[in-house]
Amino acid sequence: MSFDPDLMPLVPALRHWLIVIGGLSAAAILVSLLSMLVIHGGKCLQLFADEVQGFLTDLVSISIRRVFALAKLTFMEAYRRKALLVFVVFALLFMFAGWFMGNDGEEITKPTVKLYISFVLRAITWLTLPLMFILSSFGIPEEIRLRSLHTVVTKPARRLEIVLGRVLGFTALGSLVLVVMSVVGWIWIVRQIPADARSMLICRVPVRGNLSFKDRNGQDVEKGINVGDINEFRSYIEGATKARAIWTFSGIGENSLDSEGNLHIENQFMAFRSYKGDMNRQLLFDYQFRNPEKNITYTTQAWPIVEKRGVTKAIPRKLEVPSEGKTYDLIKDFVTSDGNLIVEVSCIDREQYLGMARIDLFIRLPDQNFAVGFFKAVFGIEMIMILVVLMGVCASTFLKGPIATALTFILFILSGEDTHKFMDQLIGGKSIKDGWQGGGFFESIYRIVTHMNPTTDLPANYAFTIMQGVDWVLTFFLWTCKQVIPHLKYFNMQEYVANGFDVPFDQSLGPCLLITLAYVLPCVLLGFFALRIRELESK
Amino acid sequence: MTSLTSQQRKLVYLCGILILLIPIISLGLPASGKDSPGGTLTRLRTKYELGESDLGKVDPSGAAMNLVLLGMRGVAVNLLYTQFEKERDAKQWEEMRATTESIVRLQPHFEKVWEMNGWNLAYNTSAEWDAVEDRYYYVKVGGLFMKRGVEQNRKSTHLQYHVANVYQKKIGNADEAKYYRNYFLHDPDPKFENGPDPAFNPDIMDNYLVAKKEYIRACQIEDTEHRPQHILDRTLFRSMPARCQFDYAQVLQKDGKFGEVTREAWNEALSDWTTKYGQEVFSIPIGDLNNPVKFDIRLGMSRDDIKKEIANPDDVVRVTDMVDRYRKMVNYYYWTTRGNCESEQTTAEAHRSLYEASQKYKSQEFDKALELSFAGMTGFDKILHQPEYNELKSEDTLVEECLLGIRVWKGIQELGQLKIPNDYPLKWLEVEHQGNTQLQQNVERAYKRAFLQ
Amino acid sequence: MSLSGPSTDSVIQIRNLSKVYRDFWGRPKVKALNALTLDVRPGEVFGLLGPNGSGKTTTMKLLLGLLFPTEGEIKILGKSAADVGKNERIGYLPEESYLYRFLNAYETLDFYGRLFDMPAAKRKERSEQLLDLVKLAPQARHRQLKEYSKGMTRRIGVAQALINDPDLVMLDEPTSGLDPLGNRDMKDLILDLKKQGKTVLMCSHLLADVQDVCDRIAILYGGELKVMGRVDELLKAQDETQILSSKLSPEAIRDVEAVLKKHGANILKVDQPTANLEDLFLKTVQESRERPGHRTVKEGTAS
Repeated sequence: MSFDPDLMPLVPALRHWLIVIGGLSAAAILVSLLSMLVIHGGKCLQLFADEVQGFLTDLVSISIRRVFALAKLTFMEAYRRKALLVFVVFALLFMFAGWFMGNDGEEITKPTVKLYISFVLRAITWLTLPLMFILSSFGIPEEIRLRSLHTVVTKPARRLEIVLGRVLGFTALGSLVLVVMSVVGWIWIVRQIPADARSMLICRVPVRGNLSFKDRNGQDVEKGINVGDINEFRSYIEGATKARAIWTFSGIGENSLDSEGNLHIENQFMAFRSYKGDMNRQLLFDYQFRNPEKNITYTTQAWPIVEKRGVTKAIPRKLEVPSEGKTYDLIKDFVTSDGNLIVEVSCIDREQYLGMARIDLFIRLPDQNFAVGFFKAVFGIEMIMILVVLMGVCASTFLKGPIATALTFILFILSGEDTHKFMDQLIGGKSIKDGWQGGGFFESIYRIVTHMNPTTDLPANYAFTIMQGVDWVLTFFLWTCKQVIPHLKYFNMQEYVANGFDVPFDQSLGPCLLITLAYVLPCVLLGFFALRIRELESK
Repeated sequence: MTSLTSQQRKLVYLCGILILLIPIISLGLPASGKDSPGGTLTRLRTKYELGESDLGKVDPSGAAMNLVLLGMRGVAVNLLYTQFEKERDAKQWEEMRATTESIVRLQPHFEKVWEMNGWNLAYNTSAEWDAVEDRYYYVKVGGLFMKRGVEQNRKSTHLQYHVANVYQKKIGNADEAKYYRNYFLHDPDPKFENGPDPAFNPDIMDNYLVAKKEYIRACQIEDTEHRPQHILDRTLFRSMPARCQFDYAQVLQKDGKFGEVTREAWNEALSDWTTKYGQEVFSIPIGDLNNPVKFDIRLGMSRDDIKKEIANPDDVVRVTDMVDRYRKMVNYYYWTTRGNCESEQTTAEAHRSLYEASQKYKSQEFDKALELSFAGMTGFDKILHQPEYNELKSEDTLVEECLLGIRVWKGIQELGQLKIPNDYPLKWLEVEHQGNTQLQQNVERAYKRAFLQ
Repeated sequence: MSLSGPSTDSVIQIRNLSKVYRDFWGRPKVKALNALTLDVRPGEVFGLLGPNGSGKTTTMKLLLGLLFPTEGEIKILGKSAADVGKNERIGYLPEESYLYRFLNAYETLDFYGRLFDMPAAKRKERSEQLLDLVKLAPQARHRQLKEYSKGMTRRIGVAQALINDPDLVMLDEPTSGLDPLGNRDMKDLILDLKKQGKTVLMCSHLLADVQDVCDRIAILYGGELKVMGRVDELLKAQDETQILSSKLSPEAIRDVEAVLKKHGANILKVDQPTANLEDLFLKTVQESRERPGHRTVKEGTAS
């Protein structure tokens, strides 16, 4: 799939986070109260209050020096235990990568560059993450097994500090590994590409707009025409009609122009011909800038499209209309009072079609250095790594090392876009209330075995009501799991860099930071709590 | 016990590793271009055509690579095909091509894989592009892809046939043939400096001649490797080289090249057809389906030849019958006649007159055009009245050419508001084909395209 | 929480403490400690004695909060065992020194010093002081702990337990794995701590250790308290008197015997006092340090 970045809805995301955190802690408190009631009877409230008080005392008496001591210890531990041998694997991989990726004297093309970039970023990811899976999940269990933790917890070190120290220490180690590897990887990429082809290492900074369409009669529609593609990612506008693809950019001002005062618009449309026509000429498009407030429109000249490679046009700030003897100012006249710029695209050729998706047209700000984009993508890996460390350390506070590793690994595997979509399907929509086709676990098994159509209602009796109830509970459990499993949709920054784009803050970096932060608090608190209620003398 | 310190021991290990690396590199180094043939293993691999271990562009960090390393090649290929389909549906052609590369690296001796993917690139993918250069690029990619398949599978008649097929049909017969054939000699990629892509057209020849060469290779593979093909009936399959020569001669005429080169081309085509192809031996089963008798026949055999070779008079009748049937199937007589006809000076003259008439008409030299078209019509009238070329009267391309000549001739007179005479050369041909609307349309379209642009 | 009992100023108060180890399903497996009640007073050296598995270590871990009591109450330095704050004033030497084997001596002490939130200068000063105190050879101090012998590990273990200058020192089998010289050092150290007014709680199964340094002991067996009291009182044989003098001639011994008989005392044994092996070993080492090359050979053995 082509990647189609979007903004993270900030306020709903925060609300969702609060609901999930609140819900889970409420559930945890309820369960612990109930179990204390069973074990201790009447004293349970007193005990609970003591526990809460201890918990809070630990929270407030946290010491930075102790946390750093523990972090340093964690780092030293991994370092002295030769965890950095991972560099040897890394070095070997890169020594021999040239063998496999060598281009046999072929020219360097865009896909080759893309392959190099994704290879390096993926290699870094897959060398760092397994290391962190194992280190973070084995750290605390190993200390408990060797009882070295005894000497720590009998000092004034809070369990919270132990968890934090572990997280920080592993993060520091992982960051070191990442930095070294990414610098080497970056040098490798640059050296692998001959000097004359290095211009392909670009880092475009796009301003993306929202796309809407008008059909051939000029009516607003959600999508253009499907010319028979299986994949409906792009939709098409018909030539020489009122059909338009309309991009609305917000926040456009003078700083969107380059030093010479031009606005760069890049597009990459696809053509669909209903007849072959003049084969030796590409289909034509033009831009129209429209300001609905002033009711003015400016149409550019027509340009031929260039499929896949794209066209970048510099639009001068002064737009002259010789026929009317007028001159418009792109910024002053066409940017609306709320900072929006509307760019309409039309296809010139009659009965021919141009296909486009939201990402296919953008305002191109001055390019960044390739290194900027590359290291931003590395930062994305760092965020994933922190998530892994958080989950690993948290799991290791209540599980043995191998099991904690497995749990972390499974959580990570489940964090992809596809699995989340699959879970959404099973749950039957974003919310559990939407219901699901063919029922939940037991109901669907019943329907499969009895060959019952999903649209047929189940017989109305208690057995089926109970079954559906159980299904509801199972589905709710799945829903809860889905809320807890990280969703790494925004973390895939490698796509941006491999495709020659800068990693945008609002669509990728920012959400990643927020998501990672969102896991810090629950993971650390859960780890702290698990370590606190646990007897460290394991028998 | 050793008296080495830990550090010394580590140094010894390091040296050991480095020493072990030397044989690994000398054994395993892959080939990189012509200068370095690669390590021993690579050279052996090349020698014995065992390219599997050359994993090439399979992304070493990708999931597919992991599966391969775990011995699950089939699963990896499955995964790659899924990816391939996704990329195809999303029109990510470059990515799809890279995936294709990975697939063939994993299955380098699976002929169908080469054929299917090469075809997909040359025919399906190329058609998805808007710019003709882009289309040609993918035709080339597909063709080269199949050529590489042939390198990996030197004993495959099928693949060799498909390579030739791309040169002949995809480049020669496509709607964009005019551009493709030009690009074949003058690649649009600036790095070839207006020359052909040396990988695709190493000898700088016409695409039909390259196709002919490739078809001949396919025939050779069939002969030497005893690997029969199952694409066409063998008589048709063996006719391909000669047919390419005919195509070449025809296209020269179409491009307005007359004279010695063209006549030579026709001559060679004729000789390819009658002396080479006509003398090929086909083993034909005749008689009872369950118990057929095999006879060796040649399409160029005369009745006397048959009588000489076969004793049983019953068999003579049956073999004659069979030979006739095969000749009809491959249009043996037609092409012989055509070849004979086109090698004649008068035919060449008539072609040239009609072609030049169109050119003059285009440049609005109407008097000359009128004269030339009439000369051409007269020429063809004469040729077609010869009994030995009787068969050509129903040959579409030739008839089309003649009718177009008449159309030009009439058009000029309409423009000059002259009265068209009641009788003129080739009028009988016009009358004969009056009912053929398809033909009429073609002529009309060609006329419009040529003159009303 | 309220603790009843006479000595509210005790450093450690244990009331009715029980610990049951459970298996995975929560079923009771072992009753490690049963209704233990004892107090440790400020400034005393208190010894927990008993054979292996008698509950000494369990008691200590309960006190430190490494284990949670099944029943009963603990107050240590006036705080609950679960309160991490109490650790500020406690030094703990585990049964085996479970230290970080990849750190060297300085790093170890620095790390533990940081856990007490000590500033860098103080950590450095204190580390040097302690390493001298436990007599860790200077050349060993920069080596990683994994290269240490058991005795060296023990020494660094003691040093880390004292890093915060604790009021209460808890020593789990302090002399285990030490050679006699180390053993002596350890005992001296404990007595030294006592002199400084610190409270020491130690547990051991070696009576000799306890006898020399402890003011009071408690003997545990099978998780239950069997005997508790002052060492001298516990060890004193109430119906015997021992007289020690310089070497007497046989005539003098006869005179003394006569005097004793006159007072109606029954003489049980007359011989020269023998030092125990430990004393002898120490004396020998001491002497060989002061006079290198000197050999003491008893008459009649070298022939």
